Amino acid sequence: MELLNAIFGRAVSFTANAPHPMAPDMSLWQRMLPPEDISEHGHLIDWLFSYTTYLNIFFFTLVCIGLFGFSYLYWYKRHPKAEYTYGNKKTHIIVATVIGIAVFFGVDLNITRISNNDFMKVFAKWPTAEEEVERVEVLAQQWMWNFRYAGKDGVFNTDDDVLTMNDLRVPIGKKVLFQVTSKDVIHSFFIPNARRKVDAIPGRITRMWVTFTKDGKWEIACAEMCGTFHYRMAAKLTTYQPEDYANWLAEAEDRALIENDPERAEMYWGWKWEY
Amino acid sequence: MAFFEQHMHAEPKTFLSKYIFSFDHKVIGKQFLWYGILFLGIGGIMALMIRWALAFPDQAFPIIGQFMFPETGGIIPPDTYAMLFTMHGTIMIFYAITPILIGAFGNFCIPLMIGARDMVFPLLNMLSFWLALASGLILVGSLFTPLGAAAGGWTSYPTLSTLIGSPGTGQTLWSLAIFILGVSSTMGAINYITTIIVLRAPGMGYFDMPLTVWGLWLTAILNAVFLPVLGAGVLLLIFDRVFGTQFFLAGAAATSGAGDPVLFQHVFWIFGHPEVYILILPAWGIVSDLLSFFARKPAFGAKATALAMTAVTVLSTLVYGHHMFTTQMSPLLTQSFMTLTMTISIPSAIFFANWLGTIWRGSIRFDSPMLFSLGVVFVFGLGGLTGLYLATVTTDLYLHDTYFVVGHFHYTMAASVLLGGFAAVYFWMPKMFGVMCNETLAKWHFWGTMLGLNGVFMGMMVVGYAGMHRRIYNPFIYEHLQRLIPINEFITWSAILMGLSQIFFVINFVHAVFFQKKKAEQNPWNVGTLEWTIPSPAPNYNFKEIPVVKCGPHEFSNPNLPAGRDFQYQTEELVKV
Repeated sequence: MELLNAIFGRAVSFTANAPHPMAPDMSLWQRMLPPEDISEHGHLIDWLFSYTTYLNIFFFTLVCIGLFGFSYLYWYKRHPKAEYTYGNKKTHIIVATVIGIAVFFGVDLNITRISNNDFMKVFAKWPTAEEEVERVEVLAQQWMWNFRYAGKDGVFNTDDDVLTMNDLRVPIGKKVLFQVTSKDVIHSFFIPNARRKVDAIPGRITRMWVTFTKDGKWEIACAEMCGTFHYRMAAKLTTYQPEDYANWLAEAEDRALIENDPERAEMYWGWKWEY
Repeated sequence: MAFFEQHMHAEPKTFLSKYIFSFDHKVIGKQFLWYGILFLGIGGIMALMIRWALAFPDQAFPIIGQFMFPETGGIIPPDTYAMLFTMHGTIMIFYAITPILIGAFGNFCIPLMIGARDMVFPLLNMLSFWLALASGLILVGSLFTPLGAAAGGWTSYPTLSTLIGSPGTGQTLWSLAIFILGVSSTMGAINYITTIIVLRAPGMGYFDMPLTVWGLWLTAILNAVFLPVLGAGVLLLIFDRVFGTQFFLAGAAATSGAGDPVLFQHVFWIFGHPEVYILILPAWGIVSDLLSFFARKPAFGAKATALAMTAVTVLSTLVYGHHMFTTQMSPLLTQSFMTLTMTISIPSAIFFANWLGTIWRGSIRFDSPMLFSLGVVFVFGLGGLTGLYLATVTTDLYLHDTYFVVGHFHYTMAASVLLGGFAAVYFWMPKMFGVMCNETLAKWHFWGTMLGLNGVFMGMMVVGYAGMHRRIYNPFIYEHLQRLIPINEFITWSAILMGLSQIFFVINFVHAVFFQKKKAEQNPWNVGTLEWTIPSPAPNYNFKEIPVVKCGPHEFSNPNLPAGRDFQYQTEELVKV
């Protein structure tokens, strides 16, 4: 150990639970869980993940039983004479076919069906103009996030828009619809607590919608490699109770009227909102 | 079924014609092997530097850090970190795994296993190696350009990889290197395909070929079809960078008209998804053979395995869209790619069942090639199953671009292919160099590698599911990732264990090749495929007489064989009652 410490120039430890000045004190299991789910539909993704995991554990256990069991039973000292078969008897073919079909229908089509239902009925079912949604335009750039709210007139890209940098505030209990694009390179708008991300691509607008369910302070990350400081491209996410959000928005809209400089061309990076 | 007379090469006399500018497929195979192992070492050290930065972002990299980064006191700076993971991915995929599995063993095994005296196009074969060398030199050279090497990830998505995101020469040289390597691999692929079709020994039908040759053949077909696509993609990228075209520029950056950065992703992944099968198919083939050889039992359902691998080859060309779910393509495409991806598991399940069927009721010898082959079955099982989370679109929305993906593809492309490559090195060592490796060191190598790699890649999947995204220099500036520090440290220690285990391999390999006095026997593993009917190491003309094939490659434990023998050569008539 002393030798290792000397070589690596630091205290060497091999346990996953070693205390660390920055790491909070929690059990290994707690560390392994994904961040807290604060969205209405994030549980669909968590559920499918767990379900796939159970199926995988079942099938991988079968593989391991075969792999380790046969390795044990048919070691040449224990089993000196191998059976002479090409594996082309009827029973062999039936067993292999059954395994193939069982995996395909039992696992693959099963989870494909569930995922497809979730995707088409929830995640890709875009809110329409008739619904009341909170709209936010997102512009990614190296290495920050710009957010734009429509402001008092309800129209985007006008001089009363509320603009924030690396600071997204949204209400809970209401659909929030994001339209995302990028100024320079490809980024990816990732909200770990809502289990969702969408790429921000120059030249096109992508969409994402989330209904948040819990108020608090969270983090937004850039998930797509976007240059040297990719790792610092973080934004704050604040989720408010509806009345708190209304208060903040009213205040921000008033402030925008005073502080926005209509002559500054750079502030009109937004676009006309179309559903 | 040779269509023409194969001449015997005259024995090369000078050092240059024997070891450097050689037309002999065996020498070219060895050249590729050294080339691949060298780059494997470079890529491996890069991996350790990446891991070090992730676990201990504020500490100097041990031993060599002080010399490499004196201005930061040995700490890896963020821009260097981006170059490191870019070059690690590029080197490992194109300059380590491809040369070892396809360049070295493709060259070495194909003519020997099908009973040919050389490849069909020996000159093309030599050219393929020298182009690969030129490409490798350009890539290494790009590390020393003023702004450093390419740093946009091995996928090099525009617009990051255009002048907007990477102004340095490094990215241009990277594209050029990949283009040249693509030409080199295409030359190799054409050679392999033609050789297998034209030069199989008399009597050898396609299903009499060892499954290793099947794997290499399918790989060569994918290479010949899809590497030109990658070549076209990086050529357009070079045009964008050097001649000011705008194929991949859009939005504010496009000054006239508009290209589309997503176009590159389509071109890249149309090649990129087959690429993972290009890497893994030779390993599948080798494993299918070795399991049979060391279980002393005919390969279970060999024909079905060959056909299943063919099915995977075809399907692999139809699924690439699952890499691009988050670019938000049309829901119809998303659904189609999701479903097509899932169908790959039918053939995969079939050859998995066949692998287990092969060792079932066998008489298993746990020599090092067998240990590595069983290791491939284990890690590929894990890698394949974890692919399901990424194929279903909803879980992919969360897991895409997280470390879960990194863990998954390392299990499939890195772990399985590496273990398969090591199995091949230990297995064909006697035929390649005429000596045997040390079994004890080989087994230590296996267990160290196996423990280390599972710690690394399992750990990566854990932190990925916990929300840690990819390609970040210091994850812990995010508050929600700080709880992952201890797990990241564990992963790094596992990586160091895996790295140190490779010392066993290097010692073993170098000792065997240069210092081992004891010559290997002609057929130390008692295997009946054609390369074992000739002396070890193989003479420069391979076969004095072109062999005539009379039975399959996996004839073991036939009860009608005379006492004391449990296998027969492919040149012998199948023993019947």
